[in-house]
Amino acid sequence: MDKKTVLLKATRLDEKGTSATEVIKNEEIKIEANTPSEEENVPLDKNIKLMSPTRMVIRRFFRSKLSVIGLIMVIGLFLFSFAGPILYHVIVPANDVVGSGYKSDVTISENGFDAWYENLMTRGWQQDEKDESGRWENTESEFIVIVDGEEVAIKQTLQKFEKDSTLARPSALHPLGTDKSGYDVLSRLMYGGRVSLIVSFLAVFIITVLGVVAGGIAGYFGGVIDNIIMRICDILMCLPGIPILLIVGVLLNGWISKGYGFISGESRIYYLMIFISCISWPGTARLVRGQILSLREQEYMVAAEAMGYSTFRRIFKHLIPNVMPQLIVQMTLGLGSMIIYESTLSYLGFGVKAPNTAWGTILNLFEEANGFEIAMANPLIWVPAGLCIVIAVLGFNFLGDGLRDALDPKARR
Amino acid sequence: MLKYIVKRLALSVLILVAVSLIIYFLVRLMPIDFVASNAGMNSEPETLDKIREQLGLSDNSFVGIIKGYFNWLGNLFEVENGVITLGKSFDGQKPVSQIIRQGIPTSFVVAFIATIFEFLIAIPLGITAATHQYSFRDYLITVLVMVGISLPSFFFGNVFKAIFADLLGWFPVSGGTDASQSTTGIMDVLSSFRYYILPIFTITILSLGGRMRMTRTNMLEVLNSDYIRTARAKGLKESKVVTKHAFRNTLIPLVTTLAGLIPSLFSGAIITERIFGLDGIGTTALTLTNKGDIPFIMGYNMFLATLSVLGILLSDIMYAIVDPRVKLE
Repeated sequence: MDKKTVLLKATRLDEKGTSATEVIKNEEIKIEANTPSEEENVPLDKNIKLMSPTRMVIRRFFRSKLSVIGLIMVIGLFLFSFAGPILYHVIVPANDVVGSGYKSDVTISENGFDAWYENLMTRGWQQDEKDESGRWENTESEFIVIVDGEEVAIKQTLQKFEKDSTLARPSALHPLGTDKSGYDVLSRLMYGGRVSLIVSFLAVFIITVLGVVAGGIAGYFGGVIDNIIMRICDILMCLPGIPILLIVGVLLNGWISKGYGFISGESRIYYLMIFISCISWPGTARLVRGQILSLREQEYMVAAEAMGYSTFRRIFKHLIPNVMPQLIVQMTLGLGSMIIYESTLSYLGFGVKAPNTAWGTILNLFEEANGFEIAMANPLIWVPAGLCIVIAVLGFNFLGDGLRDALDPKARR
Repeated sequence: MLKYIVKRLALSVLILVAVSLIIYFLVRLMPIDFVASNAGMNSEPETLDKIREQLGLSDNSFVGIIKGYFNWLGNLFEVENGVITLGKSFDGQKPVSQIIRQGIPTSFVVAFIATIFEFLIAIPLGITAATHQYSFRDYLITVLVMVGISLPSFFFGNVFKAIFADLLGWFPVSGGTDASQSTTGIMDVLSSFRYYILPIFTITILSLGGRMRMTRTNMLEVLNSDYIRTARAKGLKESKVVTKHAFRNTLIPLVTTLAGLIPSLFSGAIITERIFGLDGIGTTALTLTNKGDIPFIMGYNMFLATLSVLGILLSDIMYAIVDPRVKLE
């Protein structure tokens, strides 16, 4: 045997006091044991690649195919929702991006009335544009009015453009066609993604802050405070999820129709998600508490106490950073479930409502009268929105799983 | 053990009181006026006020709401025809417990069969994934299961409906019962079974993932333990090691979660039921919540909260029974 593979353990302490042990893989440090003296003179640690904990985590993360796929999915959706609209408008010139409205113009000419609706409903629909859906509706009628004692024949042509732009088949202008109200499906998908992503990030952020503060305090102080916080957690965990959200959804709907100033159809989803966050922090709090209960008994915490650090500093500078790995995993997985919550609410009509849009709102089509028939005839309207939700949740789940494996110091693979 | 259970039960009552207070305040904040929206256009304001007073809704101040809460609490345990009413619904003055009972058979049958399928499919999948860890099979199962977890019920349910009911026409699009048949009880459930097939499959596929992941994690943990190594070392067949030695210990957490399943069996799947037009408890809850029927909303939500409190307690007790290493304190 002329080659010996030596496994070395490299341990390094960083400034924060966390230690990381990594068994460096065989191929990196093949030390040839019986090669002549020139190798022996080289100090041993030249052959060892020291890696910071961060680099080790990144390496392990990218080793797993699923987590890379998850990352690509998430980044792709972000680009689609945030950069997408900008690019889309460059490629297809738009009149009015999210604006909706109706302009009814009536002109009186010598021949009579020419009435038409100028359609400004969505982007890209010009006056002279051809109808893709075959839903023109021209009504011509002639009648006689008496103006200043003279009989004038009036010919009236009504062209209803509002039907033209609805449920159009895919075309160069509208790659996915248009929906029931004449909105371009692709751009609605992009803007809907913005709302869905922003809202779930907001919710996860609030949950994490509340959970870390409550869990940190409960775990560090213990005793009565711990007991109180944990009982609050028990109570919140017993609230039935979706039914409670239905109640709050109905409540907000009522407030909007009563015209309470601070809340509008557009901002409703934010209030709803804040409410969801306020009842879903117990999971995070329990995680943080459990970690801190075991961490506070460790030597470095005794050291921190001996150094005379303040309680605040001990909790938030020395304990919380050690909970971060689990917290990051929990947050990533939480993003997925928040997207599901948000879209479920929007689907039921309690979340984002037209003319504003989110992915769930697009699927709200099913809840409308004749919605199922329309959906069956035009799958391009709703299938992409559903797929976007699936991709987002799947991406965050893959990402979370990958991070869990990468951040686990005990994991070998 | 008995002392522990009594202590937990007492704590559960406190938790339920707190939960009911939270829900009651939320419900009373709803500006949806059940009286006004159901009384009809021609009713005079005085009549409306009278009805409101009868229902205990006239005073919307803090004290009024607290009074209303105790009123509700008092009506909760009223007995009518030998059954606890849980208060009377605004809608037709029916006892809430009766409304809940009407919806439960449908919801229960769907949830129960879905749970059986879930276990039958998820456990073998989880075990295969664990015994072949990091193989192609493991990855395939993991990915498929992840997709299952990530599917939102309203999207997947509608896709299912679109494919199997609309496109292929194998199942009825929606509804719960055949109008032509007028059977009751268990026959009723059997006759409408073909309406249940799609909802059952939807729920099964959506819940499969969690169960399978749990099985896989537990199985991996057991397979890495010392006594499995001993079993292998003494030359047992791998199949025997897995089925006889490892699988039995994997059962511990699975049995424990059985108790935790109680709430989901009775609570009804609101969205799935709505998509497939089943008249289960979920659909009822959605309609009556929209209407603002306070006694029903309270009764239904407290029913769910009680179930989940009991579920947690039962699974803790089960854990102690199944695993002798666990001691309840």
